[in-house]
Amino acid sequence: MTEEPAQPSRQWLLTLPSLVWLAVFFVIPAILVIVTAFRPADLQGGVGAGWTLATLREVQDPAYLPILWRTIWVSGLTTLVCLALALPMAFQMARVGERMRQVLLLLIVIPFLSNFLIRIFAWKSLLHPEGPLTKLLIGLHLIPENAVLLNHAGTVLLVLVYTQLPFAILPLYAAAEKFDFGLLDAARDLGAGPWRAFSKVFVPGVRRGIISAAVMVFVCCLGQYVIPQMVGGTSDEMLGSKIAQRVFSDRNLPHASALAGGLMLAVLVPMLVVVIWQRLSRKEAA
Amino acid sequence: MDDFLVIDHVSKSFGTQRAVDDVSLTVAKGEAFSLLGPSGCGKTTLLRMIAGFERPDGGRILVSGQDITALPPELRPVNTVFQNYALFPHLSVWENIAFGLRMSRRPREEIRSGVDRMLELVRLSEHSRKRPAQLSGGQRQRVAIARALVNRPQVLLLDEPLAALDLKLRQHMLMELNTIHEQVGTTFIYVTHDQGEAMSLSDRIAVMNAGKVEQVDTPEHLYETPRSSFVATFIGDANFFTGVAVELQHEGYVRVMIDGLGSPLVLSNGAVTSNQTLRLMVRPEKISLTLKRPPSGERVNAFPGIVEDIAYFGSHTRYRIRAGEHSILAQLQRSRFSGGEIDPVRGAEVWMSFHPDEGRVVRLEAAA
Amino acid sequence: MKRSWLPALITWGVILFLFAPLVVLVVNSFNASRFGGEWEGFTWSWYEKLWAAEEVWESLWITLRIAVSASLAAMVLGTLAAYALHRFRSWLQNVHHMLITLPLVMPDILMGMSLLALFVLTGVETGLLTIWIAHVTFCLSFVTMVVLGRLQDFDFTLLDAARDLGATQAAAVKKVLLPLLLPGVLAGGLLAFTLSIDDYVITFFVSGPGTTTLPLRVASMMKTSRSLPMINALSTLLIASTFLFAALSSRLQRRA
Repeated sequence: MTEEPAQPSRQWLLTLPSLVWLAVFFVIPAILVIVTAFRPADLQGGVGAGWTLATLREVQDPAYLPILWRTIWVSGLTTLVCLALALPMAFQMARVGERMRQVLLLLIVIPFLSNFLIRIFAWKSLLHPEGPLTKLLIGLHLIPENAVLLNHAGTVLLVLVYTQLPFAILPLYAAAEKFDFGLLDAARDLGAGPWRAFSKVFVPGVRRGIISAAVMVFVCCLGQYVIPQMVGGTSDEMLGSKIAQRVFSDRNLPHASALAGGLMLAVLVPMLVVVIWQRLSRKEAA
Repeated sequence: MDDFLVIDHVSKSFGTQRAVDDVSLTVAKGEAFSLLGPSGCGKTTLLRMIAGFERPDGGRILVSGQDITALPPELRPVNTVFQNYALFPHLSVWENIAFGLRMSRRPREEIRSGVDRMLELVRLSEHSRKRPAQLSGGQRQRVAIARALVNRPQVLLLDEPLAALDLKLRQHMLMELNTIHEQVGTTFIYVTHDQGEAMSLSDRIAVMNAGKVEQVDTPEHLYETPRSSFVATFIGDANFFTGVAVELQHEGYVRVMIDGLGSPLVLSNGAVTSNQTLRLMVRPEKISLTLKRPPSGERVNAFPGIVEDIAYFGSHTRYRIRAGEHSILAQLQRSRFSGGEIDPVRGAEVWMSFHPDEGRVVRLEAAA
Repeated sequence: MKRSWLPALITWGVILFLFAPLVVLVVNSFNASRFGGEWEGFTWSWYEKLWAAEEVWESLWITLRIAVSASLAAMVLGTLAAYALHRFRSWLQNVHHMLITLPLVMPDILMGMSLLALFVLTGVETGLLTIWIAHVTFCLSFVTMVVLGRLQDFDFTLLDAARDLGATQAAAVKKVLLPLLLPGVLAGGLLAFTLSIDDYVITFFVSGPGTTTLPLRVASMMKTSRSLPMINALSTLLIASTFLFAALSSRLQRRA
């Protein structure tokens, strides 16, 4: 393939539509969120005139700390569980034949493409006190008669894993597909057992996939509010829940913006770290 | 008929790199011509300028008197067979070949007969409905040739036409290309890095190096009388020696004093003066090896040496022979070994000899 | 070499985990029991109730209008973006590439929140238009990525070949590039369509009165226990159409 010679006018013509669109509807709004955090709120749910640092002081409320902490550890735990399940899956998918691979891929993508709310609703009815799973587990005497499966931290984790799992499987599978499985035979030949071959050869081999999967899942979890709201209890709120509350219940846009700005930083920092790390390791390889 | 395709002082740079540096060439009508050189020598850039994919920084390109330098590719009387054939995967073989005729809006009947005639020429009539992906490498190659030739180009450009084929198929397509060239009589310009291909396909070859043309000649002349050591090494193998002209003889011979070897008599290319430092070349297969010293005489160049290494190739054997600080390559057909029944073994003392006509002066240094 | 059975076990276990809730939904949509704890007999009644619920169909109509128009716009913008990203190497494309990839990792809530801030500060009334803008914005990146993947497999010497055979630049694009790129563009459009139909969080932020899309409708139905069985029926229909779409798009992928 030959790259086109520098044709500045043609390049700009082809780039401008998407560039302008994203500048107006993605970059400027993100900046506006930060700006809004320094504006006072008005009572109609809009933004008042003038500038203030009051919102920033409000956001430093120590009541936010446990929520922030919970957001981070729930996201981290979800990421770990997703990776633990997705790694052997990607390993398996990359090893089966072409037809089986297509079937497995389709089986993973279909629930992923089904409506997000419907998937949450499905868990709600599955775990409902009158629902089939509760009844089954009580029938098997695995849980006490009065156990409630819904509305606690475990439920949030379960549904988070359920919705985020494909985000972990797909990048890992893409990495595993490129992995040279002859290396595993070589490791076995050199005396490694299956587990050591997997952990010492396969896992480092798909390192890049693991990182993009982890970032993907972690970042998506950080912003969640629908899942804790619908299947969690009152003590399971995450940062996203607070943002939604400030927008829709309190109608305090500046306050929500300050929280969203913090979340934005929390999302961008790990991403930047990964991008810089990958640049460095690529330079090292070159 | 002469000067059908003229490349007139053409240059092209990419950034600071001069890919093609002031190249001038003429190709006759109906000639099979090759641009030969290592990768990065500028041959592909030159081809792309003839096809119209690159615009020269300076110079002109003419086809039968018409200046095509400024024409876009679609308006040039030139068609290309691409290195990986670039067949349209979404079109059948038939539609691929018809593409050019459709673009020039020929009548339906003419398209049909033109495509069918081409399919016959490349013997693919029964595959006309297939997609390129269903064809073998050799068949794809023939579709690419048919797709270009159906437009009756004045010049056909072939970019590494055999590079994507395996060895057996390459031998076969080599013959096939020669046959097609004879049948259509179009001017063919090959670009290749393979000297064997260039030698067997072309009437004349331009050897390129670092953006410049080193020598344009028939295959025989390039091999026998290379004008530079680059051409000598690129076309076949060669032994080089540096020496001083000590004795000019009549009939164009010169005796050269080579440190640590001796004073062979070789063919000069005319312009040698006495005491001049020069470089001479002897092809490995022109050197004979004997165990005994050959009968001495004015016209025999013979030097002793020790066999250092032997490589057996079946059709021939190569010997690396040390003589003082010189390491000399000799190549023998088994049947031509004339020193007795025993082959030289490693460490054996042998005599190397070559006829004065087989030694050539390839470069003159400034007079010392 | 003996292969461990553990990865296979985990794989099928996870697939069971992914499908179990959906299967329960489908089964319950035919279950006469309101809460679906036990099987109380087969019934079509939830589907009949759903058929009669006009507001659901109105929401579906709104959703479809937004999804079709947003994915068409995203297809055009995304194809141009992918072409520019693939063909040029410059600082402009580095910036462009960053802008295209960032929305892919931006949590929905932030995108919704920031678009809401834009509309509130510029005084734009939220409604169909704002939803459409939001959907084009998040679909754009996905379409670009799908088309970019297809472009990476495209052999650009084919365009040279077309020019060589007498096609003008425009004819080469029309006769060679577009037909070969079309499956990729359609697959990207299909993905955008699915994402648009599915979106709840962003739409929630930028919707206004009278623009209740299907996911918003489902969310409000989930609050009243009377309409819960109807959601089962609706979900079954949506899952069935997802299957249909997945089959269609995988056929498109394979044809190229």
